[in-house]
Amino acid sequence: MLHVDSVEASYGPFLALSGVTLEVRAGEIVALLGPNGAGKTTLIRCIAGLLRVRAGQIRWDGAALTNVAAHRIVESGIAVVPEGRRLFATMTIEEHLDLGAFAPHAQAGRAQRLEEVYTIFPVLRERKRQPVRALSGGQQQMVAIGRALMAAPRLLILDEPSLGLAPRIVESILGVLGEINRRGVSILLVEQNVQAALALAHRGYILESGRIAGEGTGAALLDDPHVRRAYLGPLALRH
Amino acid sequence: MTIILQQLVLGVLIGGLYGLAAAGLSLIFGVMKVLNVAHGELIMLGGYGAFWLFALSGLDPFAALVVVIPVALIGGAILYWGLFGWVVRSHEETRIKNSLLIGFGLGLALHAAAVQLWTADERSITTAYAGTVLDLGGVSVPLVRLASLVVAFVLIGGLHVLLGRWRWGRAIRATADDWEAALMTGIDVRRAYLLAFAIGTALAGAAGTLVSVGYSISPSIGLEWTLKALIVVVLAGLGSMLGTFVGGLMLGVAEACSAMIFGGPYREVVGLVIFFVVLVARPQGLFAK
Amino acid sequence: MAAGLVVVAALAAVPLVVARQDILNFLFLVLLSIALAQSWNIIAGYAGQVNLGHAAFFGLGALVTRTLWIAGTPVLIGMVAGALVAVGFALLIGGAAFRLRGAYFAIGTLALSEIFRITVGNTLAEISTLPQTTIATYRLANRYWLALALAALSVAAVAALARSRLGLGMQAIREDEDAAAATGVGALKLKLIALACSTGLAGLVGGCFAYYHISFYPSHLFSPGWTFDAVLMTFIGGVGTLHGPVLGAIFYVFFKEYLAIRWVDFHLLIFGTLFVAIVLLLPGGLVELMGKLRGLLENASLSSGERRPRPEHR
Repeated sequence: MLHVDSVEASYGPFLALSGVTLEVRAGEIVALLGPNGAGKTTLIRCIAGLLRVRAGQIRWDGAALTNVAAHRIVESGIAVVPEGRRLFATMTIEEHLDLGAFAPHAQAGRAQRLEEVYTIFPVLRERKRQPVRALSGGQQQMVAIGRALMAAPRLLILDEPSLGLAPRIVESILGVLGEINRRGVSILLVEQNVQAALALAHRGYILESGRIAGEGTGAALLDDPHVRRAYLGPLALRH
Repeated sequence: MTIILQQLVLGVLIGGLYGLAAAGLSLIFGVMKVLNVAHGELIMLGGYGAFWLFALSGLDPFAALVVVIPVALIGGAILYWGLFGWVVRSHEETRIKNSLLIGFGLGLALHAAAVQLWTADERSITTAYAGTVLDLGGVSVPLVRLASLVVAFVLIGGLHVLLGRWRWGRAIRATADDWEAALMTGIDVRRAYLLAFAIGTALAGAAGTLVSVGYSISPSIGLEWTLKALIVVVLAGLGSMLGTFVGGLMLGVAEACSAMIFGGPYREVVGLVIFFVVLVARPQGLFAK
Repeated sequence: MAAGLVVVAALAAVPLVVARQDILNFLFLVLLSIALAQSWNIIAGYAGQVNLGHAAFFGLGALVTRTLWIAGTPVLIGMVAGALVAVGFALLIGGAAFRLRGAYFAIGTLALSEIFRITVGNTLAEISTLPQTTIATYRLANRYWLALALAALSVAAVAALARSRLGLGMQAIREDEDAAAATGVGALKLKLIALACSTGLAGLVGGCFAYYHISFYPSHLFSPGWTFDAVLMTFIGGVGTLHGPVLGAIFYVFFKEYLAIRWVDFHLLIFGTLFVAIVLLLPGGLVELMGKLRGLLENASLSSGERRPRPEHR
């Protein structure tokens, strides 16, 4: 469904991505792993339309998505939960979820989708009138995911959803992701928590220094010695 | 005592217009990070629009709002497409600097054009009811200025509701909070910018109309009103339209107090001093969200 | 350098050859404008701080000079005093003002300048006129040479600054203040030095104006128009370059005089529009335009396959 083909991107003179190829097939959960600075967020920004792709192609359902305006990408069925949540500081939960359905195609069935989001995240329903500034990190993450879900995406991309959250909350959020996937939404998950991500994902890619250094099924990557040494073993960089 | 109250009331009456003038500037700056220092000249143009409508067709200035506001809305859209829309392609700091410079040039050009077209003379709209003065407990309240205050309040209140209930109003607020997140939510940020700029300009036009009927206009009022608007924006902070209105009232009252204490000629100075002090001491303003 | 000295010498000879007052007046304006524009160029073009309160320093210099001179002090001493007062005030508010970044600094300085104008307008409302004895012995040539000296001084100062370590530090701040600060460039100190040079020069220019003009209202010395003139000239010529303010000043004064014959204030309409066009389309101003034209001409006159690299010079 989503094909990223030899994508290159740079920040000024610095080449952040030097030919990345990956794909997310319908119904899959794909994990994108790698150390800090590898280019994972850069790649997400390229897919989201926030960063110019210098070379290569991004295709979605066969149609070219490379360098398409960001808001149009949402209209084509991809929603992004950005790193650090990026909520709207002056707004309430309700307003976030309402805005999530901003795109024209998401207008239909919004009431029903809102119900679904409140069902997945009951605490949001309880506090829907509260400004998001007053929420905990985990609750804010739920708002961010809920906002993205309101856009009726067929592909949900999450950039480091577990960052700064307690393990118990991370567990529940990743569980929710599994639930969302079962309802038919494909997921591309960028994660530092390699163990949890690979346990959840069908397939995964390793991104190092701007290029793909490995790929395979979730189970295969968990067993891979390089992965174990670099990301799971006692010498792995812990974050 | 009545004299003091009188001055304070007059301060509040003009303060409402300061608030309206500032609201437009605040909206534009808050959403796009563009500082249009020609905002005062747009107010001036709004005033002349109402003036000529009255002079040529007898249209009551308050009724003229129905004409001025849509025209200013379109004018704002044109200014955005032709000028400020190009500035938003840069990063924030460059954006602010460039918009400052462009606004500077635009202001000069508009001022000079106004002088050419309408001479430097002061104008004012004198309607049939212009002389009516209400007596509220010994305080004289010119009806026209009171009506202007009410209109200003209604417009700002309307803006507040618009930003809260209208789909694009929320989109504008979202863009002001985090434009990238807004993009990722499917909001066409460029369109939000356009709307914010058009609405901001419309508010300037409305403010100008009210200034021309209760007070007076001339080509030179541009800089003065830009500074007033800036003072209120800095005083109130960004993000709250009602807060901006209150900030305007505060400036009006502060000016009235200053005039009473230091004398009339120093009325303007207090605002500028407040401006500088607040900028240095509490740059986010008093009512910032 | 040598070319510059020749030009200065030639200009200095003008009053000896030309007797027409209107030509001398015109040249005086051009020279004074060059100095004013260069003074603004230092703080805005090289240090990157858009100062919209420039009129305050021009005005302070003018006011102090005028007051001292009329009271009997030799005008040059009066001018130095005026410049010192301007610099003193600049350093006083500089610390606070520089806490404001970018646009806030610009409008903050504008606010300060306006405070000055209004206060002076209230406290010194009467027109300032030279006494009859002074008018009787008024020699335009003296004013002319003084303006020439200031123009030469301003160009030399900017040239020296651009090459110096101070100047390079300022330009680093202009490009990216955070990065410059991170590499140990003492940002505040450099900005204050730039401000001191800029305002000192502006004060001298103001002093020269006070020496030249027979009568004026003191508040007019602080009119934002002086700032606007400096900004327009510098930008149109090419902000941040050595020759930009010179070109801009010549262009500006010439057209202002030419357009003023036909329509009053019309020149501001044209310059305002031109200014906007330059900010958007040709940020390097006339200097950039000339560079492009020169490049076009060079490439056109060379045969194909033979492209001489253009010599680097700033």
